[in-house]
Amino acid sequence: MKSSAKTNQSAALTRKGIQSSLVSVAGAIGRPVKDQDGRDLGKLVDFVVKHGGETYPPVSGLIVKVAGRRAYIDGARISKLTKDEVILSSAKVNLSEFQRRTGEQLLDGDVLDHQIVDVNGLRVVRTSDLYLAPLDKEIRLVGVDVSFRSFIRRIFPGTFGRKPGVDKVIDWASVASLADNGGVVRTTATREALSRLRPADIADIIEDLEGREQSALIELLDPDLAADALEEMEDEDLQGLLRGISDERAAELLSHMEPDESAEVLRDLDDEHSESILAQMSPAMAKQLRRLVEFDETHAGGIMTSHLLIVKESDSVSDALALLVEHRERDISDGVTVVDAKGKLLDHIQIIELIAAKPTQKLETLVKAPFPTAVSIETPLEEVIEEFSNNRGSSIIVVDEKGKPVGRILADDIIDAMVPAESTGLAQGTGALS
Amino acid sequence: MKEVLTSRKLRLGAFLAVMGPGIIAGLSDDDPAGITTYSQLGAQFGYQLLWVLGISTIALILFQDLGARIGVVTRQGLIGLVRQKYGARSGLLSATALVLANIGTMTAEFAGIAAAGSLFGISKYLTVPAAAILVSFLVLRGSFARVEKVFFILASVFIAYVIAGFMAKPDWSAAAEGLFVPSMPFTQEALFIATATLGTTLAPWGLAFIQSYAVDKRLTKSDLKLLRVDVWTGSLLTGIIGFFVVVTCAATLNANGQTVIDDASQAAAALKPLAGELAKEVFAIGLIGAALLAASILPLSTAYAVTDLTGRPAALDDKVEEAPLFHSTFAAITLVAAILVLIPGVPLIKILVLTQIVNAVLLLPLLFYMFGIARDSRLMGEYRASDRMLAIYGVIIALIFACVSTLIWLTIFG
Repeated sequence: MKSSAKTNQSAALTRKGIQSSLVSVAGAIGRPVKDQDGRDLGKLVDFVVKHGGETYPPVSGLIVKVAGRRAYIDGARISKLTKDEVILSSAKVNLSEFQRRTGEQLLDGDVLDHQIVDVNGLRVVRTSDLYLAPLDKEIRLVGVDVSFRSFIRRIFPGTFGRKPGVDKVIDWASVASLADNGGVVRTTATREALSRLRPADIADIIEDLEGREQSALIELLDPDLAADALEEMEDEDLQGLLRGISDERAAELLSHMEPDESAEVLRDLDDEHSESILAQMSPAMAKQLRRLVEFDETHAGGIMTSHLLIVKESDSVSDALALLVEHRERDISDGVTVVDAKGKLLDHIQIIELIAAKPTQKLETLVKAPFPTAVSIETPLEEVIEEFSNNRGSSIIVVDEKGKPVGRILADDIIDAMVPAESTGLAQGTGALS
Repeated sequence: MKEVLTSRKLRLGAFLAVMGPGIIAGLSDDDPAGITTYSQLGAQFGYQLLWVLGISTIALILFQDLGARIGVVTRQGLIGLVRQKYGARSGLLSATALVLANIGTMTAEFAGIAAAGSLFGISKYLTVPAAAILVSFLVLRGSFARVEKVFFILASVFIAYVIAGFMAKPDWSAAAEGLFVPSMPFTQEALFIATATLGTTLAPWGLAFIQSYAVDKRLTKSDLKLLRVDVWTGSLLTGIIGFFVVVTCAATLNANGQTVIDDASQAAAALKPLAGELAKEVFAIGLIGAALLAASILPLSTAYAVTDLTGRPAALDDKVEEAPLFHSTFAAITLVAAILVLIPGVPLIKILVLTQIVNAVLLLPLLFYMFGIARDSRLMGEYRASDRMLAIYGVIIALIFACVSTLIWLTIFG
């Protein structure tokens, strides 16, 4: 299958002599396991690899079918591994049963034919084959073959079916294997590779993954990055995803998202589910989101973000700047909202004005026209849009009935509110299920 | 924001906006092949083989229900799951079986179009290419959602059989006996139509479809109850319509000595007690609606299921070079089916029934894999099928196997 994605020849794979000694995992399964004298002991069922800090995990053991029983043989006893057979270093076979230990993965059972994320190619694929090679004194998993050709190759019997097709091999270091094996398999390399992706790419990958792998990927990501990716996803996909992960993890992710986006997600979930997620959050965050969820999406309160940096008019410029620095990771922190002693809205002051002023200056001296546009929580969406087009500002402050600022509406919140109504014509109902 | 909008992918779930999956899967059985097979069953054997339909309906309910459960619990499509659990050969085998069966079913849909056209005196060389172009255009342009209701309403004309069944004043006690007391002449004809009935009712594409749908809509265990209600309703509706088709044909065609159906007008004659002189037109409209509906969903759902092999879900708006497997499956099903029907002198009604025998044969590997998945506690967890359910699945699979192998035996040596 032709693919436009980048394939990354690994450092390990191009190292001289390694290519010729690659062993195809798909081909080796079912081959004879022999002792030093060439006596058949049984047939190879699976390879066990141990994930640790290393980029290329070593084979820690074999599962071999001996006289109808599955036995575990320690990896240290492998003397030689070729594409046709496995030779053990001693004749004694201790027929212990395989017990999965933390970080262990079965190559045929957990990885082969399962979905993986090709981090460089930014796509989700099934593994057609896996390649082992001797490296640093151990037999290690070095490469993944995701080509459709190798998949077809495996259909054929005989030596042809076991021949590695090394032209389309991806370095093991640049894939994320998300196989659900009940244990924890996460190499630091995978984590690092994933953290380099843009949120929009991660969102695309999440949508291409099947349920279990999807949940596994979410568990693997840094919460901030995962939250950014979630914000890029379609509502319908996002809801499906949230139903597939634990309430605890869902609460963590929603806490990292912009509050208005989280509220929108929670609003669409059924009450029972959203309550059980809220119960896992910090009380302050849950309280804030509960209030946002209450608001109708067709009114200012429903589309605003409640993230505001509020300062008193008696505070100094340096106080305001310190607050901005503290919240610098929020991309909406472009200034501070100034209130009077009673908490009523006075002005919104941009960062540039704060920088131009003296650090010791009181904020009240900066309060002057142009004043920000303010609307009440109940203002209908159409009027909010009108205010935006009249004032050409980048944001509007939302105030409660006492004139206290409770949130802000940014231009992109307006776009969010307007777009779904027009773009989801196809995805609205779920037929008899809705 | 712009990026999110352009990356939106048109997938199976979003494609089917109006109907529930159970109803759609049920429709695969009230398509031209189903109606014709049931008509033949009633015309040829009266009420005697109604029990075959009864068993087929039970099998449909059980396996559709299993497919829904597998989809919801594993959150994977059938073909991908088979590759994952059984390896490359089985993955390719199941995908091939699905594609072949669906080429057969698609051929039956086009044969239905051709038969309906012939009732109005229009040549199949006009109607079949027109239908093939129409459905490909609607589906690939993404405008299917706007017309699916129209097709659905046309197809629902077949509910007329329920009324026609009562108006034909059938022998209800004979019908009850045929439904509950199994008996069968041990002839090739009887076995042929019984196998076709199994194959058309428990169609392979319905099984793959229900699972894909559950995965694509990201349905979870909490949705399972609703999904099962939908599946049971759809399957039962199929059985009920099928029952009335058989009863109507038994009371009209069979009672009047018309035991062989060679062309569509003979099948349409069963609707005379209800529609009188309009029977042909009513029958033709139903055929067209059901055929177009199934022909729109079938190649698409097959293409989605097959891309499971690569593990990279395709989308309707992917370019040809981005998703070659998706587009080649879609094209193969539509083209091969249309060409088969257009072979000069090919007997349309025979094709309609024969493709359902092929369905029954190709069902076997798929049901076998589903059985294996159902008993895998690592995949299914608490939803693993109980030993009693597994025994019932086993009996159904054995029954289909017995029908198919006896039929092959009789055909070769009989």
